[in-house]
Amino acid sequence: MTNINDFSGYNPTWCPGCGDWGIGLSIKQAFVQLGYDPSSVAVVFGIGCSGNMNDFINAYAMHSLHGRALPNAIGIKLANHNLPVVAIVGDGDCYGEGGNHLLHACRGNHDITVIVHDNSVYGLTTGQVAPTAAKGFKSKSTPSGIIEVPINPMALALINGATFVAQSFAGDMATMVSLIKAGIAHKGFSLINILQPCVTFNKINTFQYYLQRVYKLPQDYKKDDLKEALGKSLEVGQEKFPLGVLYQVERPSFTDQIDQLKDQTLVSRERFADFQNLYQDFI
Amino acid sequence: MIGGEAGFGIMTTGVVFAKIATRLGYHIFDYVEYPSLIRGGHNAYEVHVADFEIRHLKPTIDVLVCLNKETFDKHSDRLNKESIVVYDENDFKIEGDYKKVSVSFKKIVTDLKGQAVMKNTVALGASLATLGAEIDELLKVIEEQFARKGEAVVNINKQFAQAGYDSAQKKFPSPNKLLTKMTTVEPKLVLTGNEAFSLGAVIADCRLYSAYPMTPSSTVLTVLAAWQKKSKMVVRHAEDEISVINTALGASFAGVRSAVGTSGGGFALMVESVSLAGVTEMPVVIFIAQRPGPATGMPTWTEQGDLLFTVHSGHGEFPKIVFSPGTVEEMIELTGKAFNMADVYQLPVIILSDMYLSEGHKSLAKKFIDDFIANYKINRGKLVTSLKPSGKTQIYLRYKDAEDGVSERIIPGVPGYYFQANSYEHVEDGHTTEAVQPRVIQVNKRARKWKTYLQNDFRLPEYYGDSNATDVFVSWGSNKGAIMEAQKQLTEKGMKTGFWHFTHIYPMDKEKVKGLFKENIRYILVENNSWGQFGKLLLAETGVEIKEKILRYDGRPISAEYILENIKL
Repeated sequence: MTNINDFSGYNPTWCPGCGDWGIGLSIKQAFVQLGYDPSSVAVVFGIGCSGNMNDFINAYAMHSLHGRALPNAIGIKLANHNLPVVAIVGDGDCYGEGGNHLLHACRGNHDITVIVHDNSVYGLTTGQVAPTAAKGFKSKSTPSGIIEVPINPMALALINGATFVAQSFAGDMATMVSLIKAGIAHKGFSLINILQPCVTFNKINTFQYYLQRVYKLPQDYKKDDLKEALGKSLEVGQEKFPLGVLYQVERPSFTDQIDQLKDQTLVSRERFADFQNLYQDFI
Repeated sequence: MIGGEAGFGIMTTGVVFAKIATRLGYHIFDYVEYPSLIRGGHNAYEVHVADFEIRHLKPTIDVLVCLNKETFDKHSDRLNKESIVVYDENDFKIEGDYKKVSVSFKKIVTDLKGQAVMKNTVALGASLATLGAEIDELLKVIEEQFARKGEAVVNINKQFAQAGYDSAQKKFPSPNKLLTKMTTVEPKLVLTGNEAFSLGAVIADCRLYSAYPMTPSSTVLTVLAAWQKKSKMVVRHAEDEISVINTALGASFAGVRSAVGTSGGGFALMVESVSLAGVTEMPVVIFIAQRPGPATGMPTWTEQGDLLFTVHSGHGEFPKIVFSPGTVEEMIELTGKAFNMADVYQLPVIILSDMYLSEGHKSLAKKFIDDFIANYKINRGKLVTSLKPSGKTQIYLRYKDAEDGVSERIIPGVPGYYFQANSYEHVEDGHTTEAVQPRVIQVNKRARKWKTYLQNDFRLPEYYGDSNATDVFVSWGSNKGAIMEAQKQLTEKGMKTGFWHFTHIYPMDKEKVKGLFKENIRYILVENNSWGQFGKLLLAETGVEIKEKILRYDGRPISAEYILENIKL
């Protein structure tokens, strides 16, 4: 049995009061509760304040390029589908730079868990606007206010075939831990969008802002209804933020549907040697 | 050569002809010309057949099968009065002094109630008849090809072949016996460069191939995908080239041999991640089939225009290795070596092909591949497969400083340890650093891999031709066959030449390569690009400058004739 210190690497360099502290702790707590140790889980980090968690969490990890954590995570899963694979990314990272990868990871129902730090800004590059910011959000790169309307990550995931879509809030550790555990336990693609106040560069979406606007999905909420889930995902337009699992259904994961991975992982199988069998195409 | 409208099976017909010639005991080398569209353009497939090993095309066309008028118009300049032209006089007339054989393609197809595409089978029958070959091998191929579709389909196709054969035989009763079965038939395979890479990758135990379709690399993707059930490889057609290479890197991190394939434009998208492979020291093999650029360029034609881009790909300074094979045999050997080098040196290894090598077929002895397989040893370098778990889970020094530049490596899942592969500069255990000393240690460690490679695994170019020659060609990659043929023709003209052919393109051993170039020898650089890119690389890496150049950049391959036309005698 591990404890949270087993997963603790360097001391975090996040700003005091940053939502990342709570997210980082919740991820480690979830790993402990799932019975993992640092050698039994693979984590891929994007680039950003969220990605900097690479040095603060102990695990087999890749600190990837900006936007590219998802294809790395997919590659790890294809090579060893018995290994739990978690991607820890930011909103600019996953919804901006790497947006295309998200769409296709949802379609493929790749069995990875994607935890997105959604703070509406680029923290590490000192406060430019992110794709989730509300229209009109003023930032260093959009001094007159952003012209684009925000991306809707949960709606995007839902319509592209994700089989687990959830939302949490960085100020609510208990919900985060339970959603991260549920996401990892889910067989298939899971997206957990975490509303995260950036205390340094975002003076609008603060802890107070979210505390007044988040609410927990009721106990009797039906998780397997796509239309219902889409409706919930659209509430962000009215600045209402449902917390919990918006959608969860069972569908075979990507690796479940690859014959050659039925009995063994790609990395553990014997070397193929029946080369003569391939010659016939060339005679 | 057979030509016709795109979309009507010219390609398949060409391959079948090449395979029949090989089964009859001959050697083949072929090339296909086609536009970047699916219907309506002109396709032409030429097969060079000889009773000795060949690696080049020939200037004259001995048999031209014209399924449309355009084929004749486009290629009649390569005919002479001994050339046989097979066409349908009900369709169009042709002028000129050739051995004309009219076969009523349309009528045969209509009479036998076939589809237009059946013309190809008729043409195959007719071609064999004009060359004095038996029809048996063609009938056998038809049986093999259509066996799954049942006896009725086999018989119909045989009828078309026979009708073409009979019709041509009637029109051309005493052919030169050019394609009779040879007395000894050595078993051979007919492979394109792309197929050779695919086969080489399977032999090398590549378990994951990821790609996004891009001419002329796409057939690697389709061949490996078709083999999946047999070979147990996982093949992912990802959403874009960025995802392609990052999928491969994820799989490589998790311990499987991984490769990607693309052409110049797709590789441009991958380049940031080539740098990621460099700093995280992850093995990956990158297959690039070049085509003329810039941008979309001329997708279905050939060029060697991406050499400098490839060699210098990736931001920052990190080692990589670049190979460029000259033939399908070298493609198999270097593919096997590429996977070993990627593992041994923990870095990206790039195989640089081009449309000419990637899509043209060559026959090679089955024994060559059997021997290669028997002698090929997988070398995974410093991969540690079992490690005693320590009492408490601890961090593994994945990037530990090492004399030869290569650190030991474990893969995720080994109990009792963990580490991170970090895109940031890092200390020995993978944690991020911005400090002076660890940065310098890691830069130097990575750079030492090149030194070790140059000592242990770099190969100097091969020399072909007269050892006392004072006129020496210098080239790389797929130009090999054309240059060797040019050498032969120049010898007949009384000019003895030499030829340095480079396959281990980058990095180069400065002193050793420099030592190959002597005073008072005339060196002639031959490249399929307009800048003489290898010449620039050679100058930059070794200080050797070759002033005389034969360059071609019209989308067509270097040929012996092109060299002879452009060389100053």
